Amino acid sequence: MERPQRWSTPFGPDMSDADITSLFERDDIAAIDIDRFPKHTPLEGVLRNDTRIVRYRSGDIVVREGDYGNSAFLVLKGNLRVVLAPKLPQSMLGRQNAKKKGFFEALSQLWTNSTIPEVRNLSGYEQQGLRGSSDSPDARVFLQDVPVVLNNHRTAMLREGSLFGELAALGRVPRTATIFSEDDAVLLEIRWQGLRELRKYDQGWRRKIDQRYRESALKNHLQESSMFARLDDTTLNAVADKVLFETYGAFDWNVSFQRLRERGSSQEAPLAKQGDYPDGLLMIRAGFARVSVQHGTGDRTITYLGAGDHFGLGELYAAWKNPDIEDMAMKTSISALGYVDVLRVPAPILEEHVFPFMDPPADTLMELAEHPVSDDALMEWAVEERFVNATRAMVIDLEKCVRCDDCVRACASTHGGNPRFRRHGKSSENLMVANACMHCTDPVCMIGCPTGAIHRSLQSGSVIINDMTCIGCATCANSCPYSNISMVAIRDSNDRPITDPESQKPIMKATKCDYCEGQPGGPACVRACPHDALKRVDFHDYNPTGSM
Amino acid sequence: MARKIPMSLVLFGVLALASFAALFWQSRLITVQLGDASILTGYTLFVTILLLGMFNARKKLSMIPLGRARTWLIFHVVLGVFALALFWLHTGGIWPLGLYEQLLAGSFYLVSASGVFGYLLQKALPSRLTHTGIEIIYDRIPAEIAEIRERAETLVIECTKETGSETVAQHYVGTLFWYFQKPRFLFAHLFGGDAAGFWLRGPGSAARRYLNDVEKKLFDEILDLAALKAHVDRHYVCQGVMKKWLFLHIPLAVSVVTLAVWHLILVNVYVL
Ligand code: SF4
Repeated sequence: MERPQRWSTPFGPDMSDADITSLFERDDIAAIDIDRFPKHTPLEGVLRNDTRIVRYRSGDIVVREGDYGNSAFLVLKGNLRVVLAPKLPQSMLGRQNAKKKGFFEALSQLWTNSTIPEVRNLSGYEQQGLRGSSDSPDARVFLQDVPVVLNNHRTAMLREGSLFGELAALGRVPRTATIFSEDDAVLLEIRWQGLRELRKYDQGWRRKIDQRYRESALKNHLQESSMFARLDDTTLNAVADKVLFETYGAFDWNVSFQRLRERGSSQEAPLAKQGDYPDGLLMIRAGFARVSVQHGTGDRTITYLGAGDHFGLGELYAAWKNPDIEDMAMKTSISALGYVDVLRVPAPILEEHVFPFMDPPADTLMELAEHPVSDDALMEWAVEERFVNATRAMVIDLEKCVRCDDCVRACASTHGGNPRFRRHGKSSENLMVANACMHCTDPVCMIGCPTGAIHRSLQSGSVIINDMTCIGCATCANSCPYSNISMVAIRDSNDRPITDPESQKPIMKATKCDYCEGQPGGPACVRACPHDALKRVDFHDYNPTGSM
Repeated sequence: MARKIPMSLVLFGVLALASFAALFWQSRLITVQLGDASILTGYTLFVTILLLGMFNARKKLSMIPLGRARTWLIFHVVLGVFALALFWLHTGGIWPLGLYEQLLAGSFYLVSASGVFGYLLQKALPSRLTHTGIEIIYDRIPAEIAEIRERAETLVIECTKETGSETVAQHYVGTLFWYFQKPRFLFAHLFGGDAAGFWLRGPGSAARRYLNDVEKKLFDEILDLAALKAHVDRHYVCQGVMKKWLFLHIPLAVSVVTLAVWHLILVNVYVL
């Protein structure tokens, strides 16, 4: 058997034999039963290829609250601190300080905007707690005065042997706390693929991860669903114990999506197939899934599901109501669009706690399948191109757009004279999704930013980049599956390129649409379009023929 | 599908009608009392003209929340129609008597006509562009045409090399080169005609009957590029006209404001 493909690009290329040996000497690794790992994915291979050893200096921020990440951490040496309360200010985390511009400050852009592209004022960059540059592997933001932080904030300590970040890594949910290194520390960073293997083959890790998940997130998630709202705490705990959580597809779906798109094919992990026996309700926790029915020789997409949606309720209810029907089967198929994280609630749980107390569910999916195929063209396209990930896609109606570029000029006028999108993109019939950041539900661009410069604004939910802490490594631009992030070389006010004094290389910055964060009046592009051609849409609620 | 009438259009329309009715009534009243109604109508017209100019200022001030440009455009259009009616009320006819007034009226009519022309263009041309199935940024069009020409010429050379025959090359030099050189059939593209397609099916592909199978295959690829260029040409002319009509409308509007200011000074100095 060939070794798994991902191992051709190890997570940490510098893992030496000595590193592996010392890992095996640790209690937490030695406790893992290596015999449970299959031959093609031995534990040693997982450690060598799916983990890396990372060293942090005192004050270095390891994870930030609100960041997305694909990896978990095991403390090998040193002490870390989890910030409990009060939270660290955004500026300390390397993020942009959210401040809405006043009327006159906004107006002043009329004369302060430069005619030179990408001009930056260098003085601001010096005050940032930033270590390393785009070339260094350990570039990160650090807290400049750890004792003061410890004095002013309540923290919890993470000592050697602690595991953290596993829920964010496996469930694609934002990190729930900021963790920094109190003194020099050594961590084992485990990428999601390795973590999945550890959870799959080792009982101890599985128990540890699952228990934490059940304690911290599962109950809340069930409570949020109206189906389980009436259950008391004890029953809910019993239900939570029976629920299974499953992940389909790959977290780095953006990479395979780009590759598959180039090849013109798509590959989706199936969750349930049309004709299968319904054995449990699938509740989508994160990611997206395509629901389809067989049509002619292909599969016709009838809808897509996202976080909070569920699948299979109609069939399960019908099976419960009509126990005599033997060949009860799923009427539709469901597959992961990229990746999807689901909870599987076994049928007996529903039969005991849910069905007796609910009205028969409407068969909305099959109603959708009765529409003419042409009605679904827009949705099919949005799913195919993964625009369903967007919360604010820039959709331009080409039947109305007079190509005047007022939108582009308005964008430039609110961004120092530099437009942050291209009035160009993929089209279907009269609709074009322009190359503007879509502020995705699953922001893959945010994964791997070494300084956390790209982040979600707490105020608006927009994905924004802090220019001050962006080191120009292009991780985000390379991850964005829609090519909506541009790398630009910055210049000074005399139109000279700004270069790194050591390497003499031009300093690059990642730029993109920030949905006019901090500007009064919302996105300038929408306001500027005189023909009502440009809208920012979430495809979930988008109806091009009606009003939004 | 029928488009919905925007609420703001209804609102501005009703307001404009009511204002005009009130002005009409008031000016009749002043005339009956042997007063000079043109002062009221003239100053209102002047303010209206200035308000019309605000639409352009709004475009330069996108960084501040001045409302949606869509609403401003509707306001601009309704106000334009209102200004025309007011102009007739003010002058008491279609064409005034004095030479200066005729110059002012001429400019006013031209700016109104260019406005109507631009408005109609913006309603008609976008869908004509969308139906080409391609989208291209205006400034990229010359480079795009050059790229298409280069690809066509590469195919011509390939054809000559592969077949040893010069039939396609001769046809290219004699006929197709003219077409690939720059945007062609501009009027037809602008008015929605298919002169380019007609030409390509006629003179453009006249040499096809003299070609063997290998030549035909490459020649058809050249014709595909020619069809693509027809779409690009359509974008060139339609996008160009949609951008350039403003070069007529705005300077004319500026001249109307200038002439109106001078008219106001003259009236205040000599008549009142
Ligand atoms: S402002 Fe509106 S009409 Fe003008 S180019 Fe942008 S989307 Fe098109």
